[in-house]
Amino acid sequence: MLSDEEARRYSRQMQLPEIGLEGQARIAAGRVLVAGLGGLGSIGAYYLAAAGVGHLRLVDRDRVALENLNRQILHASTDIGRPKAASAAEKLSRLNPHCRVEAIETDIGDDHAEALIEGCSVIFDATDNRATRQVLNSASVKKGVPFVYGGISGWEGTASTFIPGRTPCFSCLFPPMAETVEAEPPPALGPTAGLVASLQCLDTLRLLIGLAPRLAGRLLQFSGSAMEFRTLPIDRNPHCPVCSRLQCPSSP
Amino acid sequence: MSTTVRITVNGMPEDVPSSATMADLIDLFHEMDRDLIVEHNGRFVFPQEYKVIRVAPNDRVEFIHPNFGG
Repeated sequence: MLSDEEARRYSRQMQLPEIGLEGQARIAAGRVLVAGLGGLGSIGAYYLAAAGVGHLRLVDRDRVALENLNRQILHASTDIGRPKAASAAEKLSRLNPHCRVEAIETDIGDDHAEALIEGCSVIFDATDNRATRQVLNSASVKKGVPFVYGGISGWEGTASTFIPGRTPCFSCLFPPMAETVEAEPPPALGPTAGLVASLQCLDTLRLLIGLAPRLAGRLLQFSGSAMEFRTLPIDRNPHCPVCSRLQCPSSP
Repeated sequence: MSTTVRITVNGMPEDVPSSATMADLIDLFHEMDRDLIVEHNGRFVFPQEYKVIRVAPNDRVEFIHPNFGG
């Protein structure tokens, strides 16, 4: 049941017929793991908290650095040196005191990824490398938790929503590979991260509300230099080392 | 008998060897990105199929570079 204050806070989005009182209650019942609080996570966590997601679990191992601030707009100049998870939690609690925020300062490894997603209804991927996504994807498939992928580089971005057993998983498209030397961090532009994270938020909210996520079974590629979106239908990979053993549910 | 076929690669017309596989095209167009995605006639090609799928006249091939920064 929403308080009067909450009903007013969310009134503009509750005007949407797909949301209304019931959808808002579902959003409030949602628990989302935000994996990474950099360029994507700053915007993703902010919009999810603002929209009234009841519980956000924020995970990042890093501390705020000066070169983050061109895009990681959840953090301020005065946060330099602070853990990103704590810095984010403070801003989000200030934005929306109804959102329960949990800040966890850790990396995301094979040994505890499943514990990190425990109880979560959605994984919001805001990590910055392929290997960590493989780890989160394996946990997603094992636990049956949807994985909302987004990635950026400079003017370009990629996104898709992976529903275990129903759509491809991250590893169907990007098979695990031995990490050679750690790649140089790619160029990063704030608005590109903001746009991709916003797309991820839309599908995250759809999942929480119970609507079909629009990037399920589609890979979206955005070019900010051409101002173009392209989407490519994607199928499950019968040779996927992570999810090929999962049965496709008979009902959608 | 023609030994090349006309296809479209990244939106541009190209003449390529008539029996070229996706793997051949990746070499031919110097696509070095290890994260590369290949789209063939609007369909995602799994890496396991790169050496199996061959071009036909008027095919459309796109090389997509997915992004993993955050």
